[in-house]
Amino acid sequence: MEYSSLQRQVAYMKKGLFDQGYLDEQFDELEELQDEASPNFVEEVVTLFFRDSSRLMANIEQALERCPQDFRRLDSYMHQLKGSTSSIGALRVKNECTKFREYCDQEHLDGCQRSFQKVKREHAVLKQKLESYFQLLRQIGPTERATRSGS
Amino acid sequence: MDPSSRAAASTASSGRPRDALRPLSDFPVGLRVLVVDDDPTCLKILDKMLRKCLYDVTTCSRAVVALAMLREKKGEFDLVLSDVYMPDMDGFKLLEHIGLEMDLPVIMMSADDGKDVVMKGVTHGACDYLIKPVRMEALKNIWQHVVRKRRNELKELEHSGSAEENDRQRRLLEEGDNASSVNEGSWKNAKRRRGGKEEEEEEVEEREDPSTLKKPRVVWSVDLHQQFVAAVKQLGIEKAVPKKILELMNVPGLTRENVASHLQKYRLYLRRVNGPQHQGRLDTPYTGSSEATFHSVGSFDGFDLQSLAAGQLSPQNLMALHSVPGRVTNTSIGMSSVDQIGFFNSSVEISNASNMRPPLMQQIDKKQMNFISGPPTSMESRQLGQSQQLVQSYGSMGLQTSEGASGLFNLPSSQRASTTFPGGSINANLSNSLVMQMTHQGPQFSLSQQQNQIHISMPQLPQTRGPIQNGIAGEHDSRLSTTIAQILPNDISSDVLGSSGSNMNVDTSLPGGYMNASSYGSVSHALYADFPNSCMNESTGSCYPLARSAGATSLTSTGMLQDVMPPVGNVEALGSSAGLKGAKDSVPNYDLFSELHQSKSQDWKLQNINVSYHSAQQLGSKQSNIAFGCPSLAHQDSIATIKDGSCRNTCTVRKEIFSVRTEIGHEKGECIAQRNSTILLENSVRVKAEGMSDHSCQDLLFDDNIIPDELMDAVGKKHQEGVVQVDPELSFDGYSSGNSVARWLPPNDATSYGLLQ
Repeated sequence: MEYSSLQRQVAYMKKGLFDQGYLDEQFDELEELQDEASPNFVEEVVTLFFRDSSRLMANIEQALERCPQDFRRLDSYMHQLKGSTSSIGALRVKNECTKFREYCDQEHLDGCQRSFQKVKREHAVLKQKLESYFQLLRQIGPTERATRSGS
Repeated sequence: MDPSSRAAASTASSGRPRDALRPLSDFPVGLRVLVVDDDPTCLKILDKMLRKCLYDVTTCSRAVVALAMLREKKGEFDLVLSDVYMPDMDGFKLLEHIGLEMDLPVIMMSADDGKDVVMKGVTHGACDYLIKPVRMEALKNIWQHVVRKRRNELKELEHSGSAEENDRQRRLLEEGDNASSVNEGSWKNAKRRRGGKEEEEEEVEEREDPSTLKKPRVVWSVDLHQQFVAAVKQLGIEKAVPKKILELMNVPGLTRENVASHLQKYRLYLRRVNGPQHQGRLDTPYTGSSEATFHSVGSFDGFDLQSLAAGQLSPQNLMALHSVPGRVTNTSIGMSSVDQIGFFNSSVEISNASNMRPPLMQQIDKKQMNFISGPPTSMESRQLGQSQQLVQSYGSMGLQTSEGASGLFNLPSSQRASTTFPGGSINANLSNSLVMQMTHQGPQFSLSQQQNQIHISMPQLPQTRGPIQNGIAGEHDSRLSTTIAQILPNDISSDVLGSSGSNMNVDTSLPGGYMNASSYGSVSHALYADFPNSCMNESTGSCYPLARSAGATSLTSTGMLQDVMPPVGNVEALGSSAGLKGAKDSVPNYDLFSELHQSKSQDWKLQNINVSYHSAQQLGSKQSNIAFGCPSLAHQDSIATIKDGSCRNTCTVRKEIFSVRTEIGHEKGECIAQRNSTILLENSVRVKAEGMSDHSCQDLLFDDNIIPDELMDAVGKKHQEGVVQVDPELSFDGYSSGNSVARWLPPNDATSYGLLQ
């Protein structure tokens, strides 16, 4: 009872994340990689992502402040961030990254600034949501998680 | 490595115990993959995915570290997966390096799916290009690149002439097989496995004969050729039969078949060389010829030969190349081809040629030296000198050729950079190597870059102008699976232009400078560089890419090229010029060339070669011209694959040319590219025998009747002239007397092809 309820909650939450565009099919790919050898794979990857992306975003923020005209650098940072976000399936964040890069191409500093704020926001929101998601997952036993099919 | 330790190692890495005799059906289990990505998230995901595919994964977040690892543990990896954008080193550069030094298949990855970047991957010789986020399905089949590469290598082995034992080569191959067979322990097992694998593959492709895998290849080194020529002279060319030659040469390990095939080539060469002599051009004094050369050069469209001549192929350049670590495939390849040409040239008493040389030499200046020097570095210094000479001679030859060159320019730049000298074409298979094909009409170098990996899919070929850029980040034709990751040892910060450069072979690995490099000091090089571009254009139907690539190449030649030429400047000009499209692009070529000329430090990007592969494929009939230039090469199967050092280069050249031809107009580029890359790779012992495909190429060439008769004639004449004019001095030291080690038998006409057949 407990299990299935939890499982249902997890499934529901996950579905919500997908429906609202926070995550895309790449996230499913990650879940498929999870197995007995690495039962917490997805969570590990996501944690790693948030750590690394925070660093990248700090770099961007700094660049925007110190050398805002260096669009190449900004673009390069954002490209890295985009790569990470796409690899975990963080769709919304990725989309904002794309927009940021477009502004970079246009050398539209203002656009970059605004876009970056959005990136930060999406990033924070996703982090929060995924944290809840994993919290819920942890309540389900590892076997359950492993056997749980991607919903 | 003894079986037990290997087994243990494999167990440790793969987590599964392995028996010495792993069932063949296990492949690609245990495929040893090295993943390079600065993004820790991606790295972790890829690691997991690859492990799920049951591969043996090693991850690395720094390109520099990865390269060091690859260098240290040569033969311990089967495949490399690399990100494109990395902070410490550009992925394309790494690609070139790997292609040059290790000749491993490299797959590029990036979130960037822009056509330009993908093309760059192709031209730089990447075997494949994956768009991030990478999915499991994409990774499941990466083993095909390893197999493909290996098969091509084996084929080359099979088809290469027998003769000297090439343990290293064989061992490399077998080791490679070991790798693919997943840490197979013993040699025997490896062999068995390979044999087994071969059998497996036979289902798919026949003619995989395990027994031939170990056929040693003869490397017709300068010395050997000298001995050969001496024996022939002693017997008299009319009476020279393989058996007697063999006896006279008294070289252990040499078989009658080796001699026979070499003799055949030699005869063709002589025929070709002696033919034009009657035309009287040979008799012209150097000055005369040089004038002629200059003239012809001038005809190119303002191409300033003089400026080229100004450049001197200084030994330093060569030495610089030498210093390039790893296999300077580009240069080496070029050298090999040059050597070959030199060989041929030297054989002919071409006093004129020597005269011409200086101008050429100048051209071959640092920029071009890179191209040429590449090989020398790996080759013995003697060869280096020789190659220099060859290059020079070629240069002159190229110059001599002349006016009709326009057609030559169209030479499709096979992915490999193969400069086809009158005698043949030097194919620098480096993945980025530029395949410069000199067609008769003028020094036409089809710069083909290839990426070593991605099969020319290019990373072909990029491959004296300044140090050869190690990483010729060329866009490799994905089609060309030859990832001739011939990354020039020099560190080329290839900032290869994003401009798709793709088509441009030159682009791929060679930064603008490379393009120049490909045109070794000689204008022809530059022209050829254009050719690839033009070829590419033709194939791709857009000048722009070529131009861009041309420019890009120059730009990309980071590092190596000291004076990187304004990359895009000329290239773009070239691109825009419709001329690129076809043989008519002599003008663009010149521009390119001059640009190249200016940029000294053009690194020879093997990758360019890769590109050329691609372009070669795309090239249409025009390309045939290029191929035409070296019909003799086509049948150079017998030419010993380059086993080591010097000989290697020459061998490759032949193959290169061959492959180049095939590529022209045919979709054989892949084979060729791969082959070329192999050949060009100086260090890569494996000379990819262009066996079968060579033949097919040749057939194709003839069948298609690509080369218009007049062109052929023109080329033929030019070749002859060029050859004739080559000063013996240009050739290897030992050949100053007129004996050349290996003559490049430039096909003068269609009949040459026929002969070759």
